[in-house]
Formats: sequence, structure tokens, C-alpha cells
Amino acid sequence: MVSSFVTLHNMSYDTEHVRNAVDTPGMITGIPTFTELLENPSLSSLYTSIRQSGTATGPELVEIATVSKKTVYDYLHKLERAGLISTVNHDAGTARYTAEEFELTLTIRETEVSITPELIEVIAQKNEYPAIERVLEDHGIVTFALAYDLVTAHSEGEVTIRQIGSLTDLSSGTAYDLVEALYSILDLGDDESSPTTYTPADFDDDESNLLEEFTDS
Amino acid sequence: MYTANIADTVMFRNLGKYPNPRIQSLKRAVEEAGTEIWVPAAVYHELTDTGSADSPTNPYLDTAIEEGWLRVATPLSGDRTKEFGSSAGPVEKARFVTDEFLNQQSKYPETNNWQDAAVVALAVRLFETNARIRVITHTADENLAAACARIPPEFGYYDIKSRYYNPPQTAKAEFPTVDRLTWSE
Repeated sequence: MVSSFVTLHNMSYDTEHVRNAVDTPGMITGIPTFTELLENPSLSSLYTSIRQSGTATGPELVEIATVSKKTVYDYLHKLERAGLISTVNHDAGTARYTAEEFELTLTIRETEVSITPELIEVIAQKNEYPAIERVLEDHGIVTFALAYDLVTAHSEGEVTIRQIGSLTDLSSGTAYDLVEALYSILDLGDDESSPTTYTPADFDDDESNLLEEFTDS
Repeated sequence: MYTANIADTVMFRNLGKYPNPRIQSLKRAVEEAGTEIWVPAAVYHELTDTGSADSPTNPYLDTAIEEGWLRVATPLSGDRTKEFGSSAGPVEKARFVTDEFLNQQSKYPETNNWQDAAVVALAVRLFETNARIRVITHTADENLAAACARIPPEFGYYDIKSRYYNPPQTAKAEFPTVDRLTWSE
């Protein structure tokens, strides 16, 4: 089945199970690697390092990895088999890798959750931020993914930390710990460290009177 | 003129449990600025360790309360589950209006913002019960920070400043300082 795809160039498909754009579908094997990205921070960290660097070679990755050289090469092989990385060229016999974007969507009991490289980037740091592991272990990937989206919404001023807690059913302390972890990892928020100070004058242009509106409703 | 500083839960999550150097910095800054830290009862309860059911303790706030530089307000009037009565006073009204404002600003307009709203309601209560007072609030939520500066003026109180810490963890170093706790024109 897969080999027949390889011989058909520039074909797009829209079948019940396969949808793709003009490129020929690549071969995807080693499916457990996708789920291992959620469990194994060394593996997810390697994938994230390649993705953030644009391209990287084995020796470059060995230098920054916290696992052995042999493990780095085992993991590279594993990621390549799963289609999560691919070789772009060989520098004097050394393979140079690039990361592929992906989205693994699970739908169960009418809940859909998408596992993406952005989530994997955060999960890669679960050893440094216990709140990440605590939420994944105690509440699962759906709550974790929801909390991730709500924390980014918080950085846009769209929700409060207490709203994150109540929407995810996380305790006040855990919600805050996760907020702090994600702000640090994703470098969210202002560059300026000093707080912004609002005064009543900042809202002089708001003609609506909230008290009147509320009383009328 | 007395300046009261109202701090939300997130400030104390940042400082950490007693004892630690950040709480000591806050204590020194409070003394030097000649102010006090105020928290709504709802904030005190959020930070309470209920693990030991016999004698719940608050590892973030109890020492500061005993030392006399942090005050927990008595519970605010108003009941979110009941209708908003025409006889409601300004404190209760401020809490309902803030709860509604936060939902209007959010993509999720059905959440319970009663604890967030307590920060604004406490500011209104301090204005109602003290003639010569200025209030500085400290929060790490943009909409709540806006509500703190926007809603008390609707009740006639303009001497309020709202400090918004973004990212939230900047409060670790920024909140326990004389500059942040002091009213400057």
C-alpha cells in the first residue's frame, strides 16, 4: 500500500482515512514514538532541539543532550522512522536533520485533543517543572492541553488565573504553578519586568457605565 | 493620608510559604512605606492549607498577620447565588459588577469570578469606611487589573492605582519593594 503511494507523484488524496495536499504521502511507521514523546522528556527534548534549531547534526545534538551518545542516535533513528524528523543533506558524511511539524488528533467520547510540537516542547521540560508532570499524571493530556491553551489566553489578557483553575478543575495552587511554568518555558508576557500601573484616567474614554448596565440588566 | 495595599493570591504564591527571604523583603518594604497589606477573606481561604483538618493553617499569611503588618478583611457582603437586590450597598454592587465585567471580557462568560471580584469590593469597602485613604491593588490578571482601576470610580472613588504584574512571576522581585507599595504622583 505504502509503496504504491511512493510511485504516484504529486497526487492529493481525500479518502475516509487519508487527506493530504499535493505532496506524496510520506511513510509513517513507529507509531509508538508519537506517544513516547509524551512520556519521555529526553526524546521530546531531542525533537524540540532539532525543531528550534532549524537543522542539526548528530554530533551537535550529542553535545547538548543529557543522555548518552548511543541514546541520541537510537532516538534519532526512532524519530526518523516515525517521520518526525528527516535528513536534509549530509555534511561530509554526517547526516543533518530537520524536524517535521505534526498534529496527532485523538477523538474519544466527543472530546478532541490535538497533540502538537508546541505541547511537546513544554512536556520536554516536565522534569524541571514538577507542575507539568503533576497535571499530566493526575489530570491527563486533555486537561493539560486545555490548560496550555488557557495560559496562552491569559497572556493575551483573555482569562484570569482563577478562570483557568475553574475551567480545568485544577486547584488554585496547581493552576498557578502551571501558569508560572508555561510563562517561563514559552517566554510569555511583557519584556519589561516592572508592573504596569493602571489609574482611573486610563479608562476615561470608556463611556459605558458598568454599574448602570449591570443594574439595568 | 493612609495608603492601603490590597494583594491578590498570586502575589503570595510568588513569594512562597513562610519563612523565606521574599516575605522578609515584603515586611521591610511595608514598614518603610508606612503601609499595610490587606487581603480579602477569600484570598486567605485560598491560601489556607486544609491538609491538616484539625487545625488548618496558612503558611503564606499567618506569620505576617501575627506580626501585625498584614490584615485579612472580614467577609464581604453579598451572595452570588442570590438575586442582586435593590437595597444592596456599594461593596456588594462592586462585587457583582466586577464578576459580570470579568465574564464580559472573557471568551468563557459563565465562570464564577466571585473571588477575583473580592479584590475590587474590598477596595470599595476601604474607601467607604475610611475618609482619608488611597488604595493600591496588586494582581497578575489583565482584566482584573483593569477592573480595579475602572470600577471604584463608578462609586465615586478615584484614589486608586492598580499594579498589573506581567509575567506573573515578576511579582517575586517587584512586589516586595517600597516603590510598588508607595503612592507616587
